Amino acid sequence: MKYKFLLLFFTLVPLCVVAQESTSANIIGVGSSRILDTYINQEKFSGIGFTYLYIKERAKEDKRWNSVIEHELDISSTKDRSKDNQMIEGDYNLYWGRYRHWRLFADRLLLQAGGLANANLGFLYDMTASNNPAQARLSLNLMPAAIATYHFPLFGKQFALRYELNVPLVGVMFSPNYGQSYYEIFNRGNYDHNIVPTTFISAPTFRQMLSIDWRTSERWSLRIGYLGNYQQAEVNNLKQHVYAHRVMIGIVRHFPNSHRP
Amino acid sequence: MRKLLAIWFLIPLLTFSACVNEEEFPDTSQGNFEALWKIIDEHYCFFDYKQHEYGLDWNAIYNIYKVRAREEANKYQLFEVLTDMLAELRDGHVNLYSSFDNGRYWSWHEDYPTNFSDTLQRRYLDTDYRIASGMRYRILDDNIGYAYYGSFTNPVSDSGLNEILRYFAFCNGLIIDIRENGGGDLTNAEKLAARFCNEKTLVGYLQHKTGKGHNDFSDLEPQYIEPSSNLRWQKKIVVLTNRGVFSAANDFVKYMKCFPRVKIVGDQTGGGAGMPYTNSLPNGWTVRFSACPSYDKDRQQVEFGIKPDYFVSQTDDDFRQGKDSLIEFARKLLAE
Repeated sequence: MKYKFLLLFFTLVPLCVVAQESTSANIIGVGSSRILDTYINQEKFSGIGFTYLYIKERAKEDKRWNSVIEHELDISSTKDRSKDNQMIEGDYNLYWGRYRHWRLFADRLLLQAGGLANANLGFLYDMTASNNPAQARLSLNLMPAAIATYHFPLFGKQFALRYELNVPLVGVMFSPNYGQSYYEIFNRGNYDHNIVPTTFISAPTFRQMLSIDWRTSERWSLRIGYLGNYQQAEVNNLKQHVYAHRVMIGIVRHFPNSHRP
Repeated sequence: MRKLLAIWFLIPLLTFSACVNEEEFPDTSQGNFEALWKIIDEHYCFFDYKQHEYGLDWNAIYNIYKVRAREEANKYQLFEVLTDMLAELRDGHVNLYSSFDNGRYWSWHEDYPTNFSDTLQRRYLDTDYRIASGMRYRILDDNIGYAYYGSFTNPVSDSGLNEILRYFAFCNGLIIDIRENGGGDLTNAEKLAARFCNEKTLVGYLQHKTGKGHNDFSDLEPQYIEPSSNLRWQKKIVVLTNRGVFSAANDFVKYMKCFPRVKIVGDQTGGGAGMPYTNSLPNGWTVRFSACPSYDKDRQQVEFGIKPDYFVSQTDDDFRQGKDSLIEFARKLLAE
């Protein structure tokens, strides 16, 4: 029954066949950040964060596979619940993905499924700690990923609803051991399980973005949406999470398929 | 299609169900007490050693202080209770910081004579001494070099050390006075010590915790000092110590004890062999505690200090005559 309803919804809206095309998007966002890292502090920190996201999607009309590159830059300033202690967080994520795509409902729904390679580099800095105040974040991950894009007209304008989901599978990350100091790692060169293999159990990192594009011209769209990046890990008896919720706004440039952005 | 949609929504749900989280204590007297006790319980590194030394029992301490940290206690009373609890660790690296006071255990030096007077020191340094790399230094009348290094937080530079050693090049011996040096950056201690050895020398061991248990530790990792490639001192050296020598300064004494031309003169050092970390409580107070233990070259604890080669105390007679007993002893030792 639900499936029939879904089918009805997709077929009743006016027809608007949109060919798959290459795009590049520059998006900025603001929202809340929540941080826990038991290596530095038992307390949770929360505050405001900013994100810059660049997405480049390459597609060819005659190919079943397309590629996506995303650069995500985050910075947050957070405080604990007492508001006396401050933690700064900075993070860069590179995502490179390959997707197989399917066109459904007369090309109005584009489904893409594939995988991403993710490289993450970041830091946490506890402004009130004297010794050992920082935590480095470095990881490589393979993430199954999917994107659904639905094109529809509204009030005579073209819109596209896009949802992207990245879930964890396996990876490898840097982490000090439970009580190991950075002095031991970098000054003395003492290694102790500092490169840790991870899975979706030990590092259940998860990222999603829901956005809507308003096609303002043949070349340009305005994009608004929500980005949620929930990075988590539990390795070496240490727990960490950085939850970023962002309201995003940006512009998308469309390229004809003959053009490579 | 239905299966695809189901998987699409199921994966995030499964991921969310695997949230990495940590227990939070309420911001109450009991909550802050519990949080502090747990931080120390899971991270402090000298439980076993101190149980052997003076019978420290952290679980018994929980029962004693839980009663005192009652809900109706105001912040000043709670601070006193928590500071008292931390004092049971007898550790100068353990502090509780609030906006109105710094909780501390300073018996490691307050219970002993200082064996140091800046009034007397001024008679030796006078006013025309040099200052470089955080050290005040000059050549004494009997051609003995004297350098006072009051804190290892003052950065040491290679060029600065070169200048100091070049200045002392024709001296018969060198006194490095680190009395009242409460520590600082370990790399400064290593950089300075590297000027007094001619071969890679085992000076101690380091260890860190690998889990929450009181005895969850890594293997001991050897700690070496390698000779500096810059100017190195080749004559006799005396290091002056007192109970105010703590933390990185304590480590410096640990290193220097391993070198053949070095003698330690003065009082036992104050100790402080655990590298301190910080954490915070629900009410925002910050706690500092020893997290990574270090040991001497014989794998022995130096948490409660290092004994000198020559125990020398400041005498009243010398004080009246304007003499620093420790400096005078060192001068005689270097003249032998």
